[in-house]
Amino acid sequence: MAARDPYARFGLSVSGHAYAPNSSRQAAARLVTRAPVQGEGSGPDDVIVDLINSEGVVLSGAPLSEITVDPPIGSVARRLHFPDNVLFETEDRAGIATLTGATFGEALSHYEAWHPRLIAVCLVAAFAAFAIWRWGLDLVVTAAIALTPPVFIEQLDKGTMQTIDFTMRAKETQLDETEQQRVTKIFSDLLAALPADDVNDHDFELLFRDMPRVGPNAFALPGGTVVMTDQFVKEFPSDDTLAGVLGHEIGHVVEQHGLRRTYRSLGLYFIIGFIAGDTGPILEEILLEGNLILSLSFSREQESEADEFGVNLTNKAGYEAAGLKMFFDNMAKRGIEPPEWLSTHPNSKERVEQIDRYIEALP
Amino acid sequence: MSDLSGPSGGMETEQFEFRGRAGEWFGIWIVNILLTIITIGIYSAWAKVRTKKYFYNHTFVAGRNFDYHATGKQILIGRILFIVGYLVFFFLMSILPFLAIVLIPLLFFLIPWLIVKSMMFNARVSSFSNVRFNFTGGVGRAFVVMFLMPIGAYILIGVLGGFAAYMGAEQGSFAVAGLLGGVALVAMFMAVPIIDRAIRQFSVNNHWLGTAGFTLDITLKPFTRALLFAVAWVFGAVIFGALISGLVFSANPFAFDGMFQGNEPTGAELGLIAIAYVFFFIAFLPAAFIYQAMIRNAVFNNTVLEGGHEFRSTVSAGKLLWIALSNALIVAITLGFGLPWAQVRMQKYMASQTFLLPGESLDNFVGRQIDEGMSVADAFTDLEGIDVGLPL
Repeated sequence: MAARDPYARFGLSVSGHAYAPNSSRQAAARLVTRAPVQGEGSGPDDVIVDLINSEGVVLSGAPLSEITVDPPIGSVARRLHFPDNVLFETEDRAGIATLTGATFGEALSHYEAWHPRLIAVCLVAAFAAFAIWRWGLDLVVTAAIALTPPVFIEQLDKGTMQTIDFTMRAKETQLDETEQQRVTKIFSDLLAALPADDVNDHDFELLFRDMPRVGPNAFALPGGTVVMTDQFVKEFPSDDTLAGVLGHEIGHVVEQHGLRRTYRSLGLYFIIGFIAGDTGPILEEILLEGNLILSLSFSREQESEADEFGVNLTNKAGYEAAGLKMFFDNMAKRGIEPPEWLSTHPNSKERVEQIDRYIEALP
Repeated sequence: MSDLSGPSGGMETEQFEFRGRAGEWFGIWIVNILLTIITIGIYSAWAKVRTKKYFYNHTFVAGRNFDYHATGKQILIGRILFIVGYLVFFFLMSILPFLAIVLIPLLFFLIPWLIVKSMMFNARVSSFSNVRFNFTGGVGRAFVVMFLMPIGAYILIGVLGGFAAYMGAEQGSFAVAGLLGGVALVAMFMAVPIIDRAIRQFSVNNHWLGTAGFTLDITLKPFTRALLFAVAWVFGAVIFGALISGLVFSANPFAFDGMFQGNEPTGAELGLIAIAYVFFFIAFLPAAFIYQAMIRNAVFNNTVLEGGHEFRSTVSAGKLLWIALSNALIVAITLGFGLPWAQVRMQKYMASQTFLLPGESLDNFVGRQIDEGMSVADAFTDLEGIDVGLPL
């Protein structure tokens, strides 16, 4: 922007129209400016602005420091709100720019103008959007997890267990004492193989539930509660398989997958809602569905991470690392899975192959 | 084209006009996005104000334009308060799930309250020709039209339908079943127009431009007509679709076998999924646009603003559908960068199909200074995508 003549602000004449306070009455008007005399306005840098109608009658007047000037936006008319609620509107954007001088709004409007430099803005914006999605969100989520009090996470486990017991009709375990002790022993063997810090950071506990509707399954809650269904212990009694699956669930806890997923989806909910709001009806659907499919891939990534963690932990605790594989081999044979891109978990066949690779990489 | 002649002689019919330009809006939009990203969302409040101002200031009728007066700070405070409230609610529900018994019913009252407060805020920060709008709808009425009436209709239709099924299947009295089923169908055809009209009247009749009130005096007929047209379109498309997919099935009767077996879907399966999508585009989407266009026209044509000002809307469903679909396609092809162009195109079309028939001079509106109210509610409707702005 060229340097402005400081005296250009005085002696301006800008034509437009004025509105009386709280009225839609429109009248042609001219805005004229002059230098303040002693004691006028906020000092010698101020400008005295008067509104005059076509008959030369003064409609309103005030020092510039008391007038609210709406920032420039593209080619919209400039608006000046006088302290007595008189509104002045003009298409003479250059005139008002001379009056206000270089403001933040002027600079912003300058960078928004249709110009080849917008290509650079586009590239930076596209990269920044990708960076936020790929790394920025993870940083925010990590910070949020660090700020979450451990007491709260413990409470979260209790609340979630109540919800599970209620909505999934979980009943007390039917497993006999010795069977429970056998699985709990495997669980403590695995915990013993875990670094002390990881054990102390969480409140690990293994619970059994009879859940005929859920079938053979196990899941982990953020605080360290691991739930295994009776159906699982009955269908996969092998020590190595139990160790593999429990190791996988411990992996979810240690790597804080549950909280990460919750915080990530909350964050995306606000981001999409507030930032990408004005996208129109069809586009919003695409955005939401796209986010859903992408978050599924995020979830599958977590499952693979937990598999790898499980394989390593099982091996360290002295169990056969291939135990986890048996479970997925069995699942693959049952063959009732949705297409992978529509699923929170990778395909069983795919997982078996991955686990083989993890086992090969074992020390 | 509907009748565009004025209510009283002398005054000219004024066409709405959107003067925004795609290139100019593109620059503002992309800078909004960039600043929003690098301030991790904080600038989004100012971006919203800039967007609203751009579209309002560029919308003209009779040489006068609209304006949006909320400040970025106001919007930001509203959003922060809303996020805090949301998180408290979310974590409370996670820790103490049984609180749901109390909290969920509370939402049924909280949501209409937030919508009404948001409509009030949005009206009060909007102006036309230097006069602010206002909204004076009550929360009680909002609860009735948004929750009680739809829920009541669901229950009534459900009971009638269920009883019809019982009579037909268990008692074998098909005459009674058919009669009840017919009554349920008629009830549905009456309920949708009644509820939609109640919602539109609640919105329009409680809006003011300064001290001048809007009135929507409308019969049920245009609502029933719009619904019949939309349903007729869906039925036509269903019959058409059934014929097409019938052909596909007879060509490959085992198309659904092997689906969801963990195997890669075959060409025939993908074809069926594609047909389901095409069906959505040829049956439901056009029906929605038919309904939307017909209702918008009817609402505008029957709305009067104190002072004898009338409105006309001549939106065509086909044109609306064409613009929406081609817009979506262009935005997808341009990876989102065509969005500003698409928005300007839609806005230009909508404005060009809207008319004002002034009953007297537009100089006569008078405003009042009113407290703008809460921006928290505005954050809620932004987030949920509930449209509470002026229906321009």
